[in-house]
Amino acid sequence: MRIGVDVGGTFTDVVLTLPHGEVRLAKVTTTAHDPGIGVAEAVMRVLREAGVAPGAVSGIVHGTTVASNTILQKSGARTGLLTTQGFADVLEIGRIRTPDMFDLSWSKPEPLVPRRWRLGVPERIAADGGIICPLDVGAVREAARFFRAEAVEAVAICFINSHVNAAHERAALAILRDAAPDLMLTASCDVLAEIKEYERTSTAVVNAYLLPAMRSYLARLAGRLAEQGVHAPVQVMSSSGGMIGLGTAGDFPVFAVGSGPAGGVTGAARLEQSGDLIVFDMGGTTAKAALIEAGRPALVTEYEFRDGISTPSRFTKGGGYMLKVPAIDIAEVGAGGGSIASIDTGGLLQVGPLSAGGDPGPACYGRGNDRPTVTDANMVLGLLNPRALAGGTLPVDPALSERAIRTHIADPLGIGVIAAAHGIRAVANAGMARALRAVTVERGRDPREMALMAFGGGGPLHAVDVARALGISRVIISPMSGVFCAAGMLAADVERSLVRPVLTPLSALAPAALATTIASLRAQGLRELAGEGFAANDVQLRFSADLRYLGQSSELTVPLASPEMNDAALDALARAFRALYATTFGYDSRDPLELVTMRLVAIGVVDRRLAFDNVRLDPSALDGSQGLRAVYFDPHQPAVQTRLLPRAAIVDAPVAGPVLIESYDTTIIVPPGMSARCGPAGAILIEVPADV
Amino acid sequence: MSDVPPPLLDPIGFAVMKHAIDAIVDEVAYTVLRTARSEIVKDVMDFSAAICDADGEMVGQAKTIAQHLGAIPEAMASVREKWSGRLAPGDAVILNDPYLGGMHLPDIFMFYPVFANDAVLAWVVVICHHTDVGGRVPGSNAADSTEIFQEGLRLPPLRLFHAGVMDEALGALIALNVRVPDRVLGDLHAQFSACTVGAREIGRLVARHGVASLRAHMAALLDYAERMARAEIATWPRGTFHFTDHIDSDGLDDAPVRLCVAVTVSDSGLDVSWDGTSPQVRAAINSTLSFTKSNTFLSVRCALKGDIPNNAGVFRCIRVTAPEASVLNPRSPAPVAARALTGYRVMDTMFGALAQIVPHIIPAAGEGGNTVVVLGGARTDGSAFIVVDMISGCWGGRPDRDGVEAITNPSQNLSNAPVEVLERQHPVRIEEYALVPDSCGPGRFRGGLGLRRSYRLLADEAVLQIRADRVAFAPYGLAGGGPGSPGGNWIGEGNARRTLPGKVTMRAVRGDLVTHHQAGGGGHGSPLLRDPLAVWHDVWNGKISADYARRHHGVVGDGATPDLEATARLRHDMEDIT
Repeated sequence: MRIGVDVGGTFTDVVLTLPHGEVRLAKVTTTAHDPGIGVAEAVMRVLREAGVAPGAVSGIVHGTTVASNTILQKSGARTGLLTTQGFADVLEIGRIRTPDMFDLSWSKPEPLVPRRWRLGVPERIAADGGIICPLDVGAVREAARFFRAEAVEAVAICFINSHVNAAHERAALAILRDAAPDLMLTASCDVLAEIKEYERTSTAVVNAYLLPAMRSYLARLAGRLAEQGVHAPVQVMSSSGGMIGLGTAGDFPVFAVGSGPAGGVTGAARLEQSGDLIVFDMGGTTAKAALIEAGRPALVTEYEFRDGISTPSRFTKGGGYMLKVPAIDIAEVGAGGGSIASIDTGGLLQVGPLSAGGDPGPACYGRGNDRPTVTDANMVLGLLNPRALAGGTLPVDPALSERAIRTHIADPLGIGVIAAAHGIRAVANAGMARALRAVTVERGRDPREMALMAFGGGGPLHAVDVARALGISRVIISPMSGVFCAAGMLAADVERSLVRPVLTPLSALAPAALATTIASLRAQGLRELAGEGFAANDVQLRFSADLRYLGQSSELTVPLASPEMNDAALDALARAFRALYATTFGYDSRDPLELVTMRLVAIGVVDRRLAFDNVRLDPSALDGSQGLRAVYFDPHQPAVQTRLLPRAAIVDAPVAGPVLIESYDTTIIVPPGMSARCGPAGAILIEVPADV
Repeated sequence: MSDVPPPLLDPIGFAVMKHAIDAIVDEVAYTVLRTARSEIVKDVMDFSAAICDADGEMVGQAKTIAQHLGAIPEAMASVREKWSGRLAPGDAVILNDPYLGGMHLPDIFMFYPVFANDAVLAWVVVICHHTDVGGRVPGSNAADSTEIFQEGLRLPPLRLFHAGVMDEALGALIALNVRVPDRVLGDLHAQFSACTVGAREIGRLVARHGVASLRAHMAALLDYAERMARAEIATWPRGTFHFTDHIDSDGLDDAPVRLCVAVTVSDSGLDVSWDGTSPQVRAAINSTLSFTKSNTFLSVRCALKGDIPNNAGVFRCIRVTAPEASVLNPRSPAPVAARALTGYRVMDTMFGALAQIVPHIIPAAGEGGNTVVVLGGARTDGSAFIVVDMISGCWGGRPDRDGVEAITNPSQNLSNAPVEVLERQHPVRIEEYALVPDSCGPGRFRGGLGLRRSYRLLADEAVLQIRADRVAFAPYGLAGGGPGSPGGNWIGEGNARRTLPGKVTMRAVRGDLVTHHQAGGGGHGSPLLRDPLAVWHDVWNGKISADYARRHHGVVGDGATPDLEATARLRHDMEDIT
């Protein structure tokens, strides 16, 4: 019996799998000051409700926001940085772009290491790995004394060209460990040894900065669970959608910065293993989109973690903390259920990015926010239960929604409340559609050929409209929509990402040399997964190569058909790159290629992974209201008397809209003219007819 | 806000349409990125994309190069004058001539009309900086040309695509006149693909909402931006505000180049006059009137607070004039290729005037534009190499916060080349890339620190070219803040180190160490009003020396904290002196 736990901004969600595919869900309020308290409470609640003994739990998978919150709240370690002399400012200089045009008040994010604690030491490795200047051992010892005197807790080490020759970084690591055993240390070559000094330095610094917070959080959490009799191993979701053990998460917390949203995407990939899919997750503050191709989430090899919401427009990079680690490619917009609608000075209706969040929440919660939100618009249009949300636990008052919309939107614009509510939805939907475009159109993928899978509290409420805006004809509402991130974690495998720099023109690359690189990756992958308890037979090795046209500065990742290396395999790799390049960028070229990096994802296949095919939800999760409600679907039409159906009522035969499907964690809208039927694992499929 | 009348159209449809147009223009820009062939477009992102209405007014622009923002109207006027009524679906017109509305020759504009019911409904416009357009120097971008005929192929408004097919004669002419025809034609095809994507998406909008609705909404979007801009400018003080700034020299001649602006705020908006500006110069830093206007508009746009859409409505209330045959409105055949530097100074000069109008928004001067360092020669094996490196700088102190260090100029959005990538590709070793302590202009809010980058040549010899400025005229401070420290170039090290001019072309040999310092930003407000704790934090953090703190800020201290009593006494004495 395994448990998935997802800590969100408002709720901590938990999913328990019982034998024979039975699944139980629970939600508790997130304990922001120490999220582990809420996690332990959620675990104990779901065990109690299911009548399962704590000792019977075999594993816990955890999506944690500790790493991301530590960066956002600037509550990480007093961190030092050791660099090559002359390059102590690389961290602060960064890549010098700004995220916004025309904004003269913008400031760069404060570097995580102040200049005082960034020390350059004499040493220099050349671009080809040769030693130009030996490491000044005395200077490293002196640095160790300085860091101790300054009460620095963690230190990152990043030397120029260490991705080619890490000898000096390793030597400095050993000297620091010896001279200052209390320091927590990260050498850039141990995180991911890739070219580009700023990206490598920043990644190593973020890792060092997170070490104490992550280690102490994980230790407290394990202790709390043990006190309650839960001794099962805890695993953490990584940003790339795999699981890592507690030890790895404690040493490399930088891999868990995007832990939170990864579970849902992983679950979606497991639920719909064929075909391409856009994942759409709408919560209280933001909406997120990701792309799944052939059952695998689209990944990026680097991303920026920033304060606030990342815009979907990829022109506006700059202004975050650069992390050169694999992560699911997620675009986010500031449009969630709590996003506030307003009218700007030019008379234009805006939705977000300001959010009422979960507390005080939408106006209808009656908790002190009197400005209208997207949830209030849905309430006024009859799309939400007018008495209570969250399975009856959260009482609401539609009159407050109506008053908020009338006062702040309808009256100033001189339109009716219903028209204003439609407007709020339309503007929010248009914003969310842009997040979806960011992961498809902007990557050279046509969304009209894909299905849209929606989850999160608000996803199923808006999925059909967002799909229409992009010309998507198939919408899938995930099972357990409101807690799908927690469920998705149970479908993940253990993963380890490894790299080796190659940086050689493909024409100059001997297959034997590449075979040696692959063998060394394989050995390291098997060794690391043995440390997580996987025998070699249970490990899948997925090799890929980053290639580019010689002289370019960004790469595409191409999977290797087979780890066997010979001339034919190299030719196949080149062909695969050119084909992928043509798809992504629209043209092909005969220019020579360069192999930049070899990558390995080593996967420990979890045998008791959640298989959605035989999930059986506890009946209460499928329960819901019945009867009729007046719903405004179309801005140009009067309200329609709409059937309310429990989720359990949707079976193989299509149910014609208009229908609202209410359940514990979300509401699904099936507008007039569409139909819904049951899909695999309790998903609901909605066919969207093409208009225009 | 109820004091502003809502648009006459359905307000909801209007908001949705605005999102739709923003999304289309982004998609046009992404198509360029996906399909372009050259690094300058794909990596440096030196291009822009826009949608204009039937009259050529820009309705929306992608978040690309800010300096292109106001550049379209004059070029569009040339295109319409020549081609009005003669274009059909699938046609695209190109233009690059600076004297017909272009900026400099490498920037090729493409205009693609979108038709509805046999009439032009809108235009998709894509501008790309091309790797080369011929002329005497690779890259067509030399600062030391003396007439435009040396700078490359000049294109008046010509139809490059006819019914979706490239004109054979024009294509062949371009291919023969540029050094890298594959890339140039490849990028022109990229521009064309992006235009067709824009047209397709506009067609979808028309199918959904109708021609009349789209026309009305485009007009409303321009009115909306104009309304927001006017509402804000209406709150500005009336009067005429002057400012003068300088470029050190054009590099051929030592004389400073003066930029003089007078900004008049009245009930009808802004009048910007560049009277008093230096005559056009011999070298290629002349800025065409369209580029002058573009940078003038951009500086005003930066002074507006609101989230105003990126369209031409904002500029309806701004009129710009520059004297004929001046460096800001040169007469053909003056060379213009390196006019970017002058554009930076137009911004600095405008900011100096705007700081008197909206002092709560405008920062003191930043570095004054990126420095360009070029090292070209042959490797040991005889193969050629060319390093073109851009060194960005900093922003000046702001009215309520410090400047920013190590940041792109606000008129661009450039990145920097990774040291490890440069070293791998070229026979050069970067020995330092660092902030320059004490280079900030002092102020209540200090300027950003300058940057230092040094290059050791690992080939036998190379031609070294540096285009730097702000060596003689340091970035100004505001409201009592001091200037930033000037930039500079050096060659050699230790006792053998010698100073080079700001703009230099010379021979370098193996082992030479070339160092550039980018200027620091000006300070904002009196340095004696700076919080002593903030001053001392900078000392603690190694950004300024204790000596700088005492000399400029009157702050003294020891160890981790300032001595507040001694600071108060010293500041009192310094106030007496000043």
